[in-house]
Amino acid sequence: MTPFLHINGIRKTYGTVVATDHVELSIAEGEFMTFLGPSGSGKSTTLYILAGFQDPTAGDIKLRGQSILQTPSHKRNIGMVFQRYTLFPHLSVGENVAFPLRVRRMGQDEIAQKVKRALSLVRLDGFEDRMPAKMSGGQQQRVALARALVYDPPVLLMDEPLSALDKKLREEIQFEIRRIHQETGVTILYVTHDQEEALRLSDRIAIFNKGKIEQVGTGPELYANPATHFVADFIGDSAFLAGELAGVGQGRAGLRFADGSTVAAVPLHGLGVAGQAAELMLRPERIELTPEAGPEGASLPVTVEDLTFLGNNTTVSARTGWGAALTVRLNFGHPLAGRIARGDRLHIRWAPEAAHAFVKG
Amino acid sequence: MFSAAAPRRGSGLGFAMPAILLLAAFFVIPVVFLLTRSVTEPQLGLQNYATLVGSSTYAKVFFNTFFVAGVVTLVTVLIAFPVAWALAIMPARWSAVVFAIILLSMWTNLLARTYAWMVLLQQTGLINRMLKAVGLIDQPLQLTNNLVGVTIGMVYIMLPFMILPLMGVIKKIDPAILQAAALCGATRWQALTRVLVPLATPGIASGALMVFVMSLGYFVTPSLLGGTANMMLAELIAQQVQSLVNWGMGGAAAFLLLLVTLGLYAVQLRFLDRKEAA
Repeated sequence: MTPFLHINGIRKTYGTVVATDHVELSIAEGEFMTFLGPSGSGKSTTLYILAGFQDPTAGDIKLRGQSILQTPSHKRNIGMVFQRYTLFPHLSVGENVAFPLRVRRMGQDEIAQKVKRALSLVRLDGFEDRMPAKMSGGQQQRVALARALVYDPPVLLMDEPLSALDKKLREEIQFEIRRIHQETGVTILYVTHDQEEALRLSDRIAIFNKGKIEQVGTGPELYANPATHFVADFIGDSAFLAGELAGVGQGRAGLRFADGSTVAAVPLHGLGVAGQAAELMLRPERIELTPEAGPEGASLPVTVEDLTFLGNNTTVSARTGWGAALTVRLNFGHPLAGRIARGDRLHIRWAPEAAHAFVKG
Repeated sequence: MFSAAAPRRGSGLGFAMPAILLLAAFFVIPVVFLLTRSVTEPQLGLQNYATLVGSSTYAKVFFNTFFVAGVVTLVTVLIAFPVAWALAIMPARWSAVVFAIILLSMWTNLLARTYAWMVLLQQTGLINRMLKAVGLIDQPLQLTNNLVGVTIGMVYIMLPFMILPLMGVIKKIDPAILQAAALCGATRWQALTRVLVPLATPGIASGALMVFVMSLGYFVTPSLLGGTANMMLAELIAQQVQSLVNWGMGGAAAFLLLLVTLGLYAVQLRFLDRKEAA
């Protein structure tokens, strides 16, 4: 079956600089897909190519099986909300939202009706006559959203639309965006560098790094099963313990560390052979701190370095036998919280599937 | 929000006194003298003004003046807008070069530039010879000694005065706004007429006012390229004062010109006020 939207091997270079390299992604109709990655990772470039502001060096983009690359921006019928405020400052809110309909030469009554509906969708009923300059940043972005949706585009692009807003307002509008996505069923491509925002909003997330997609999946998939070190590092906090592979087989590996301690049967990502440098990744909330050593191969001795009480949890900074730092969280009321002190020698243990090993290089 | 710290309006007036005195001595007082002479020479009364307004000869001078100033302003806007747009979106290094060329033309002597246009536009001039060579015309076009020549010469001189304010406003327009317009479905033409031009209106208005007012009082170009049959207001004033030593008529014409200018300025101020209030 042809995918609704198919980004097919998009490559974009500026001279010798590679902005995106063979970006390949299929998006289903009605899906909320987020491009997550640091700045310069190619996520915005991909979005601009979709919008028609840039042409790819190679590759194709197909909407319902039809290439859209030859179609100029104004005929692509795609909606977009920008990072900066892009309302037309000389037009009222109502006229801003009506703009896409006016350039499409729609009838007066139909325009009035659609503008009213779009403003109602973003909860700005009755703001038709307000000028953009007299509105808050959050309201302006909601008007921009109404303007981008008023002509029922098949795809809505959002390029870090909330980055100029403060945290509280951002969360409020994230909630609104979710609701609007559910109400309209529009396919959304959303660019952000904020992992929390990505996790909160998206059906699926594509993690961008250095112009390539490292992994695509739902939030829980990416969190529980990161394919690369980069993904593990970008989604959630994690500790990375450097060592070397000691025995590889059936997608799992053992690791040996500098002081000779070993772990066994950790899911391995990447191809490696015994002796090769690798890293053990542990999520802090999945590590358990215990007075006694855990089962062989899923436990390491540590020394407590510092304790920080943070209300709902106490964060324990600890060091392994060979001096690597990691943190463990003890939920409020944990039997050990309040009973341990700096310098205590304890053990960490974890469920086998909670750890991941990444081959280095 | 700065009102607590901001000095009260007018409290720094002392520092502005030298400038105010200079303006009074060299601008206000001469204008008052001129006004006085226009209603006292040859005798007390408004007869100079009555002649100016009443006679068909002078009416033609006024028509020429406003017509040429209007056409020059319009043509200047139409040429300056794309130039200013190009300058605004060009890479900075290139726009600096083009900008320098524009400024250089402003610094070249006005007479030299106008004579250059006479050479280019005359019957045996470069432009007529080129048009003939490519077969567009059989007979040379009459491009000097008429208002066509005046308009061409003045548009050229006025262009920088339009390009500069236009560039100022266009540079301030966020390119993302035009990208938004494109995604909204606006063709290039719709984006130009519905977004770009309205946003550039303050620059167009101030540039147009400057060019129109300067054109109304322009002397050199009309007198060199316009010929005697197509007199404009500044030429009339010069003729009255220099040739006829009729300070009364010259003063009256100059004063009418000043009134028109101030009137236009007042209109623009109100227009800008309303823009800011909106």
